Amino acid sequence: MKNILKDLRHPRDLFSISATDPYKSLKIRVILLDAILSLIPLFIVVTTSYFWFQSILKEDYRSQIKWQIENTKQSLDFFIEERVSGLRFIASAFTYEQLSDRKTLANVFLKFKREVSGLVDIGIIDANGIQQAYVGPYKLEGKDYSNQDWFDEVTVKNVYVSDVFMGYRKLPHFAIAVKRELPEQGTFWILRATIDVETLSKFASAMNLGNKDDAFLINKEGVIQTPSRFHGNVLEKLSFPLPGSQQGATVQEITDSSDACTICGYAELKHSPWVLVAMIQSAPYLKIPRIFKNELFFITIISIIVGIIVVTRIANTLVNRIQEAEKEREDAIAQSEHASKLASVGRLASGVAHEINNPLAIINEKAGLMKDILEASEDQSKSREKFIGLINSIFDSVSRCRTITHRLLGFSRRMDTAHELFDMNDAIREVLGFLEKEILFRNIRLDLVLAEDLPRVMSDRGQVQQVLLNIFNNALDALLEEKEGTITIKTTVNDQKIKVSVSDNGHGIPKDKLKKIFEPFYTTKEKGKGTGLGLFISYGIIKRLGGNILVESEATKGTKFTIEIPTTSTSE
Amino acid sequence: MKQAGIKVLIVDDEVALANTLAQRLKMRDLQVETVYNGEEALSRLMQEEPDVMVLDLRMPGMQGMEVLKEVKKTHSHIQVIILTGHGTDKEEEEAKMLGGFGFLKKPADIETLADKIKDAFREKCTRTP
Repeated sequence: MKNILKDLRHPRDLFSISATDPYKSLKIRVILLDAILSLIPLFIVVTTSYFWFQSILKEDYRSQIKWQIENTKQSLDFFIEERVSGLRFIASAFTYEQLSDRKTLANVFLKFKREVSGLVDIGIIDANGIQQAYVGPYKLEGKDYSNQDWFDEVTVKNVYVSDVFMGYRKLPHFAIAVKRELPEQGTFWILRATIDVETLSKFASAMNLGNKDDAFLINKEGVIQTPSRFHGNVLEKLSFPLPGSQQGATVQEITDSSDACTICGYAELKHSPWVLVAMIQSAPYLKIPRIFKNELFFITIISIIVGIIVVTRIANTLVNRIQEAEKEREDAIAQSEHASKLASVGRLASGVAHEINNPLAIINEKAGLMKDILEASEDQSKSREKFIGLINSIFDSVSRCRTITHRLLGFSRRMDTAHELFDMNDAIREVLGFLEKEILFRNIRLDLVLAEDLPRVMSDRGQVQQVLLNIFNNALDALLEEKEGTITIKTTVNDQKIKVSVSDNGHGIPKDKLKKIFEPFYTTKEKGKGTGLGLFISYGIIKRLGGNILVESEATKGTKFTIEIPTTSTSE
Repeated sequence: MKQAGIKVLIVDDEVALANTLAQRLKMRDLQVETVYNGEEALSRLMQEEPDVMVLDLRMPGMQGMEVLKEVKKTHSHIQVIILTGHGTDKEEEEAKMLGGFGFLKKPADIETLADKIKDAFREKCTRTP
């Protein structure tokens, strides 16, 4: 039975066009277009936010570096200022005479060294540039500084901080000198201290730099003042120039030949001739986007998947709706085509029937007259019998023609319907009454499965019975001689519709022929047995009564016709 | 009741059909006359009254239904059998309403027609004393 169901045909299926492929390609096109339309903005947003986030991080990191440089610069400024202030205090607290005493100076040196780290030596120099007293690791008492540049500078500016220089021990140092004016005597003296550079280096390392980073001091000529990891030794010239000094710290990017990006930050110190330089190569801001990149990638993939699912669903719904609408339209066209076919056949039928019936009647009467004459004659020859036989075959043909014209007339006549309330089971039994003898004679098994609680139907009883008779006759004709014939008639009620199904175990209808059975003048019966109008007319009648007629069939296994009649039928 | 006495008037525009029918009915002991349109049929009534009229519906000029109406108006005892190539339920009902005795569809079996004529004659006899 399942196989039979596969072949379920409805008359409207005859006119529907199989359109799976065009809809599939439409679906694919809609999905692609929708996907492109929705994914392009997604990619734009993702790319934009990626670069935007990167630039924010870069900016953030640059300001972080700037802030660190400024902090370190301030510490260095404070460091220098502290030492300058210390020397100034000593110069103002003691007289030239007191400090010229080596013991007093040594005492001051020790105390001062305890307060400030990195102090190497201290000396007092008179207005002539001669070092009068000195406490430190060298014998520099009596050294004449009058020819040195720093002596002139401290004379003019009162304070002097030197560049880094290599001392006698080949260690980098720098010197601070302060001038003490003695206005009433019209003279001055200078207090000079040397400080170890190592103390300065500590500030740079306090910047919390990474392995590949570097921070150091240079002087205004670009000579390295404190030890650098990667950019040369102390007192060597820096390999690249730095742009002119600005207020506060400056941060800029330097891209070298190997495309490695380096952030270079620098700031000029306030009380010394130095510039603090920080070279940051680890560029951690590139690492942070990688985390962000992963999240972005994850979100993008999720968005694409969700997008594709949504787009596919939308496309499915859309195309299904289009397909349904198209099918409904095709069905409507098919139905109206069929209805107009019915109407034109109806109109044609009455005309044709009249035109054909008259000449047919003449043939009938002329042949009849011939027969009458022959029968009345005394002639007993063989040819008389032969003629009578020939005339009888004319009668047979006339009778066949009459069957067709009368059915056509019957069809056009049934364009008008008359409704009455009747019991479907009774109507079936009544029709079966006509066929009782044939069923008995041919030894056919008839199974009646009639629902007892069937509601009465408001429809055209005569027309319904005509359809039933036609279908019962078809079932009888389909039964084979060699097999025990069974016809099952079943009635059911479902959703305000009465279903009458008529199944037989006859020869069935092949798939290719199933499509044509509702077409006019189509018959599978032997010549002379069928007019090809029965199912065509039945279909027209059932449709007019607001019902449906369905057929399921499998060749050699049998056929099942189902008629659906609404309980309150309104004719179309 | 003698069959040979039954006078039949065939009214049909198909000359060949009317004549052949007449011939065959004559062979069945009926007195048959033929006319080929409605007007002719009515004027023939004035000359000689048939017992039974076999009448076609679709004819040029006066239509069968009008002839039937006229006949029933003036000669109500004449029995009319409709023999038509365009037999619909509607027309059958109309003919019945107008007092037609029978309704046969072309091509009809001659014996059926002859029997119907005899029935009509019997009917006429019962009605006219």
